[in-house]
Amino acid sequence: MPYLPTSQAYLEQSAQLLQAYPDTTRIVTKYNFPSTRPANQKRIQKSQKNPKAGDASTPTVPIASLTLKTFNPTTGICLHYRTNKAQEVSRLITSLGKLAAGADVAGLGLSSGTGDVEMVDAPVTAPAAGTEEVGGKGQGQQQGQGKKKKGGKGKR
Amino acid sequence: MAPHLEHDEFFQSLTDLLSKTSQQAHGSVYLTQKPLIDVPGATTTNTQPSILIRATDGNTNAPNPKSTSKDGKIVKNKSTKIKLSTIVTPGDLEAFYTRYAEVCKAGMTGLKKRDRRGRKAKTKGGAAKATKA
Repeated sequence: MPYLPTSQAYLEQSAQLLQAYPDTTRIVTKYNFPSTRPANQKRIQKSQKNPKAGDASTPTVPIASLTLKTFNPTTGICLHYRTNKAQEVSRLITSLGKLAAGADVAGLGLSSGTGDVEMVDAPVTAPAAGTEEVGGKGQGQQQGQGKKKKGGKGKR
Repeated sequence: MAPHLEHDEFFQSLTDLLSKTSQQAHGSVYLTQKPLIDVPGATTTNTQPSILIRATDGNTNAPNPKSTSKDGKIVKNKSTKIKLSTIVTPGDLEAFYTRYAEVCKAGMTGLKKRDRRGRKAKTKGGAAKATKA
């Protein structure tokens, strides 16, 4: 099953899965170091030697990884996200807390998640007061721009 | 299985477990969270279920996780496995997870730290690319 490219995608899809099957879905967080089995070490050495042949034989400190997994046994749906960056840990865990509390996609406080909900809400408020329509549109445009800017930052 | 721990005990044991794993630079820590559904027959409530939190080392810290028995079959030595668990009520969730995040952040020292130098070089590279494009 898929490893999702971003933590945001992982959290959003997990929220949807938890909403669909709140009773049976579980989240497993694995913090692990790479295996030190001889066969595995050989493989690591090989993969390191090929790109830069000169730098071999320096004993490096193994870098641990953090793997998040949302699994629903009844449907067999399993979502993965893997990272090795320490700065992501506390943000991820607090998000898991929000998921545990039954937060939906919007409740996670992620940019695109909130955007989706506001799109739904906008047409409901618009007919109630015709004069505010212009203001509503302006807000929509601003949000759109904000999203684009965020995307640009992420890529760099 | 050992009874569920209080939050304080759980965090203390989890801190030990994480720091031990990080020091050894070997092994794994598994953290599981799932809703605690009451035993069937009990009065079902519409309120949110409590969350069951489990932590285990998956027996990866054992010196000899497997051994061969007399018949030549491989037997897992389960006695050395570390298992922790605690129950979080819906009201405590936020406070628990704030602390949980702190403990994990402090304990998971084996992960890559933020590399300022590398980041600077990257942004420079990114800027150069942007001007080219």
